[in-house]
Amino acid sequence: MTRAAVLAVGLATPLGDDPAAVLEALRSGRVGLRAHPPLAHLPGGALAGVVDGPDLKPWLRRRKDQKIMARASELALAAAGRALAGGGPAAQAALEDLGIFLGVGREPPDDGESEAALAVSAVGGRLDDALLAGPGRDRYPPLLPLRTLPNMALAHISINLGAMGENGAWAGGAGAGLRAVVAGVRAVAEGRCPFALAGGADSLVDLGSARDRLRGGGRGPPGEGAAVLLLGPAGAAGALAELEVGAAAEAWALDAAVAQQMGDLGAACGAVALALAAAGARGSGGGGVSRADPGEPAAHLQVRPPGAC
Amino acid sequence: MGEAHQDLYDHRGRPRVAITGVGLITPHGRGLAAGWEGVLSCRSAVGRVQRFDPSGFPVTFAAEVADPGFTAVPAEVEPLLGDLKGRLAAACLREALDMAQLPALGARAGVCMGSEAARPDLRDVAVRLRQGIYPPLSELDRMAPHAPTRIAAAMSGATGPCSTVSTACTSSSQAVGEGVLRLRRGEVDAMVVGGVDVLVDPLMITGFALLGALSTRNDAPEAASRPFDAGRDGFVLGEGAGMLVIETFAHARARGAPILGEVSGFGCSCNAYRITDSPPDGRGAWQSMRLALADAGLHAEDIGYVNAHGTSTPMNDASETRGIQRCFGDHTMRVPVSSTKSMTGHLVAACGAVEAIFCLMAARTGLLPPTINLDDPDPECALDHVAHRPREARVRHAMTNAFGFGGSNGTLVVSAP
Repeated sequence: MTRAAVLAVGLATPLGDDPAAVLEALRSGRVGLRAHPPLAHLPGGALAGVVDGPDLKPWLRRRKDQKIMARASELALAAAGRALAGGGPAAQAALEDLGIFLGVGREPPDDGESEAALAVSAVGGRLDDALLAGPGRDRYPPLLPLRTLPNMALAHISINLGAMGENGAWAGGAGAGLRAVVAGVRAVAEGRCPFALAGGADSLVDLGSARDRLRGGGRGPPGEGAAVLLLGPAGAAGALAELEVGAAAEAWALDAAVAQQMGDLGAACGAVALALAAAGARGSGGGGVSRADPGEPAAHLQVRPPGAC
Repeated sequence: MGEAHQDLYDHRGRPRVAITGVGLITPHGRGLAAGWEGVLSCRSAVGRVQRFDPSGFPVTFAAEVADPGFTAVPAEVEPLLGDLKGRLAAACLREALDMAQLPALGARAGVCMGSEAARPDLRDVAVRLRQGIYPPLSELDRMAPHAPTRIAAAMSGATGPCSTVSTACTSSSQAVGEGVLRLRRGEVDAMVVGGVDVLVDPLMITGFALLGALSTRNDAPEAASRPFDAGRDGFVLGEGAGMLVIETFAHARARGAPILGEVSGFGCSCNAYRITDSPPDGRGAWQSMRLALADAGLHAEDIGYVNAHGTSTPMNDASETRGIQRCFGDHTMRVPVSSTKSMTGHLVAACGAVEAIFCLMAARTGLLPPTINLDDPDPECALDHVAHRPREARVRHAMTNAFGFGGSNGTLVVSAP
């Protein structure tokens, strides 16, 4: 069996960033959804699971970098920063080989900037290349490609936290975050990284993403969030929990509550559930988390209290 | 017994990874022969943009591919061929799968593609904006990064692990690497891996030009991509696809499949530096190459050719040179280096897989493709450049680098069978 220890978790969720408090909120049935005015005109209503903040000051090397961060990148950096800070000095001393494995949404949103550029470049609905090269280009934000590349959340974690090890960004839906954690567990278990930051980040609460999600058959309110687990070798002292890849999953008791009480967290949903199961494993005994995307086999991870594997 | 074991397992006792099929579509043409002959011909595939009228844009040239048209695919993924990216993926996969003659393996085969979201036709978007309507769901489906993964799974009959890696220019290098890792740990017997990208559209050219990343040599497009040259001023957008069928040596031997070569090493790293800039000391590049060598169980002296990332940007080429110098040490000036991007442009998410195939061909034919336009080598890029024309060399192991925006690096070592 492929295993790794969870040394710390970092969260950014609509129910907060403190794992114990989020677990308590889930158990007590508290709902992290609220009216989100940008979605007011959608048929699904304005309810969304929106994260407060996050304050990135503790993690940003250069404040101006926040200007080119998509929302998912902000959430990912906050969660990764918390996970690394909570993991003790050993991981922080191993930055050169610290891996980053992240599940991200299908595409970070372009907040209408491309459409604005196109709108001034069309005559009677027909695109005019000359207008696009002139006023259209003037409307196009120069840093947009950097914000909308799917690996940017990973890049911001690497740059701001100094992690230089093996890495990967898996794009997709609900399964992407768990696939990333599976890759992280394997990288640690196979000795390619002594430690790894692994998880998922996504934001579906902008108008474009929420609209496309509804049209694609998405149910319930959209949400946003991130969870990053700091992984180390199985058996590491002080671990919160142990993860095992591909074990027959005994479902984690609160799994369904994540979507019900926080909204659809997209590529982050599995990682958030997994992080919370790990954070509460000592008290609850853990449980399994599985996620799949259409056309892609499910990723399964079993969470157990430390020493139970 | 010992010899048989060595044949099937590597220096760490892991299954060796055979390449049994490849497919290639580059701006030089469709198919392995066209792509390989293209880079040996020393001919630039860069020209004035044909897909739209580029007059007035800051950059008027790119390395475009011809539309390969429709390829027969299973019905469930036919709608994904509604744009050029899907058609490139399918046509390229057809070549690789036909070459490999891989039987349908179900859950014992998987797919990993390097791909990012496709871009809709801007003319359609303009019409929809005027009419206030949203893109059809079928378009969202085929624009999704994992559309090529679905096409590959359907065409190959693979129902095992499928995933899509999106790390910009490193995507397909890491996708090949992920396939190698899955084979070595015995999850599957075969993987279909590779990458595809289509980037030549007005907004992409606008965006990358505004970032200052593109060459603006509009008066001489064929001379615009000039990696390691003192006069380099940016990269040239390209597009294309590269696909590989890889399987364990044991599986390939058991079914009698010809082994074209081997993926013997993979390494990757992050720069932890800046979003668009490469670290001047080449540390991330060095780390990626060092890890790939160690993974392959090789020393720097064993590498007979490096297909550099070599984008032709002032920063990348200098940083990569530092990385190569640090990795190869005293051997640096004895390892031939070239950048085929001088001819193909930058295939972004597809470049890692495409250039791994060029390495395979270098190892198989003993011919190293050159860096063209290297008229005035930058003293900051002191390497043994294969400049202007191909070089004959006996290559047992070749290395290819792919470095992405945001600082993700990937290196593959490809070896002769």
